[in-house]
Amino acid sequence: MVFSSLTFLFLYLPLTLLVYFLSPLRWRNFVLLVVSLLFYGWGEPVYIVIMFLSIIIDYTHGLLVEKYRSNDKKARWFVAQSVIFNLALLFFFKYGTFFAENLYALTGILIPKSVELLGVTIPLWGVPLPIGISFYTFQTMSYTIDVYRKDAPVQRNMVEFGTFVTMFPQLIAGPIVQYKTVAADLRHRLHTSENFALGARRFCVGLAKKVLLANSIGALWEECLAAQGAGTLTVLGGWLGLAAYGFQIYFDFSGYSDMAIGLGRIFGFRFNENFDHPYCADSVGTFWRRWHMSLTSWFRDYLYIPLGGNRGGTARTIRNLLIVWFCTGFWHGASWNFILWGLYFAAWLILERYVLRGVLEKTPAVIKHLYTLIVVFVGWGLFAMVDLGVCGDYLAACFGGAPLWSGADLFRLRSYAVTLAVLVLASTALGQRLWAKLPRRAEQLATPVLMGLSLVVCTAYLVDGSYNPFLYFRF
Amino acid sequence: MTKGYARFLTVLFCLFLGGLMVWQLFLPDRERSDVENRTLQQRPALTLSGVLDGSYMEDVESYVQDQFPLRDQWTGLKARTEQLIGKRLFNNIYLCEGETLISKVDAPADGLEKANLNDVSQLAEKTDIPVYLGLIPSAAKVWRDKLPEGAESWDQNAYLRQAADTGLPLIDFSAALTAHAGEPIFYRTDHHWTSLGAFYGANALLEALGREPLKRESFTPEIASTSFNGTLYSQSGIHWLTPDTMEFWVKEDGLTVTSWRTGSPEPGALYDRSYLTEKDKYASFLGGNQPLCVIRNENARDGGKLLLIRDSYSDALAPFLAQSFAEVHLLDPRYYRMPPAQYAAENGIDAICVVYSVPNFITDRNLVFLGQ
Repeated sequence: MVFSSLTFLFLYLPLTLLVYFLSPLRWRNFVLLVVSLLFYGWGEPVYIVIMFLSIIIDYTHGLLVEKYRSNDKKARWFVAQSVIFNLALLFFFKYGTFFAENLYALTGILIPKSVELLGVTIPLWGVPLPIGISFYTFQTMSYTIDVYRKDAPVQRNMVEFGTFVTMFPQLIAGPIVQYKTVAADLRHRLHTSENFALGARRFCVGLAKKVLLANSIGALWEECLAAQGAGTLTVLGGWLGLAAYGFQIYFDFSGYSDMAIGLGRIFGFRFNENFDHPYCADSVGTFWRRWHMSLTSWFRDYLYIPLGGNRGGTARTIRNLLIVWFCTGFWHGASWNFILWGLYFAAWLILERYVLRGVLEKTPAVIKHLYTLIVVFVGWGLFAMVDLGVCGDYLAACFGGAPLWSGADLFRLRSYAVTLAVLVLASTALGQRLWAKLPRRAEQLATPVLMGLSLVVCTAYLVDGSYNPFLYFRF
Repeated sequence: MTKGYARFLTVLFCLFLGGLMVWQLFLPDRERSDVENRTLQQRPALTLSGVLDGSYMEDVESYVQDQFPLRDQWTGLKARTEQLIGKRLFNNIYLCEGETLISKVDAPADGLEKANLNDVSQLAEKTDIPVYLGLIPSAAKVWRDKLPEGAESWDQNAYLRQAADTGLPLIDFSAALTAHAGEPIFYRTDHHWTSLGAFYGANALLEALGREPLKRESFTPEIASTSFNGTLYSQSGIHWLTPDTMEFWVKEDGLTVTSWRTGSPEPGALYDRSYLTEKDKYASFLGGNQPLCVIRNENARDGGKLLLIRDSYSDALAPFLAQSFAEVHLLDPRYYRMPPAQYAAENGIDAICVVYSVPNFITDRNLVFLGQ
């Protein structure tokens, strides 16, 4: 189930809110756990088993780490066990097919898809991906590590721990909530009408971003990609398509994060922000400090810094950057284009750190923005097209390997002019700045009107429902 | 934020979500949607096996979607919003000047368009009866000028040239329709041609077979409906256009229609007027889709037996052809699975015409039966 579906909005959410707020305080974590499992099992009921397994194993490992704290060697061993378990889970479900296929392509060794053992068929690869697995394995991994590092207290209550792992607002698409940020909220949190109102407002913003902006502009990207397939792509059309995809993925993902943060707030949780106007960044480095912040900080805290970060000299830093960005790319999907995408950014970040730093300091702000946007949006090309051949042809067209423009481009520009203008404005902080300047009365009046409008128009779009794919399901 | 104001926002949010949920709960379920021309999902029964294989959840999702309160109004609101922000393509349908909807034609998949031409050629080889190919270009080609500027649609002209390369004798619907492009030859809210369009089409066919054209003066059109909202109306969500007018040109006197809907012959009707009170008014021509249908005319001008292998465009076309032919046999390969060559031989057919609209012809997966 995704948030931007009629079933979620007009069946699951109202019922969940009803049951949750009617329950006495001490039952609420349990209620949240049950409804979250329902939410998770909705698409693939069998995979609830993985959830239970994940909860039990990480819960016990947290306790074990705590128990053997005085014996560091043992404690480390239990941390390692938990990390291995989570990575194995991720590897089996997400990367099994990728490795089996590439192994076959490289060496000709074919791993069977399943084996018979004592009359039971055990699949080896090619199993469907459980939704959100990339997110919750990272969250639970951080828990044991945090307990070991004494960054978070150990959780002795299994229901509370289960609630943390399964919590439906951020379960399937982040933000990646580290245990330490919600540890206190799990035990004690405030259910106020202000929290509810602010959460609901945030949810409406996210819903509008996802349904009205991301889905609409996604159709433009599909059109441009189809034009590439038909051989009618132009330079203008190519860039239009990249822009469309870049906007789609940003508003899709940040809208989903907004909805998650909003829902969390309704239930009294404070999640960290996940985006901070990334398209206003003036260097690739800043872009990554503002895009999917919960993932970037996860890799920083649990991989980059443990590897030594930038404290071991130039060669060491470059090695660490390459490792981290290889992993970041690979995390986004089990195919070569994602790896390439990660390394592409590693290259730019290394370049910025060691070569461009001096140049950028002297460059006018406009040029810096333009440079960042071009790097990022060309990156989206790598990200969006899994087939590297198609990707190469598409980018070649963008850089002059095609006619400049066509009549069809003008039709598209006209069709999407308003949407694109809104997207550009919404990518900046302008709206928020103006909103903050509104007189109190105007704000009080505008809030319910805009919330209502968002709900009504989004409902209309969802009922029409011809186009509602969700991009971050693959991860 | 004051407590009162926070409560107000909370109530607003909950009332909208909960209100629509309760509304749906108490709203009686609809069997089918006429606007969308399909049956709707009913409340699914909760079973263990349904939950385990996930089919129960899928059914719940389509149930919520299909039975959502004010479903058609929401769809209309979306289309209005899109129009407001400059969109001209609605679910693959262009909103054009003159309150006209025109379906975009997409490039065919899997080389189906070539395979289907080949299937017609194979039919021609199988039988000694002359086989004619008639492809009706859709409004996206004939009314190209009405499309929004720069609007894309698959090149039907190029395809018609490909069809000419098969060497089969052709019926030139394209020239006949293009010559009258200024007239209402297609419905504005439906993908079919009007009776006027079918009249020009019939003359193109008669001409290709070396027969005299029909005279327009010999018909007095009867206005069958002024409230026809066709398939494009449903698909696009654009519900604010003036409905189409539907006309019946050919008189029913002297024509007998036999329909094979269930495998055995039953008396049919040239016009099934019961459809005029329903959404799918185009189905009043010959009573809509059926495997096989024969129109006999004892007073036919020229006589002879014609076999049409066809899509739904021929429902409006056949009444005109029955003016010239003593028997017009309509065979729809989507439902009729006997080899057409055998059918033609058994029934003493004089000419076979394969008549399809281009969008249907390039997407139909049943034409492989023609060559059998």
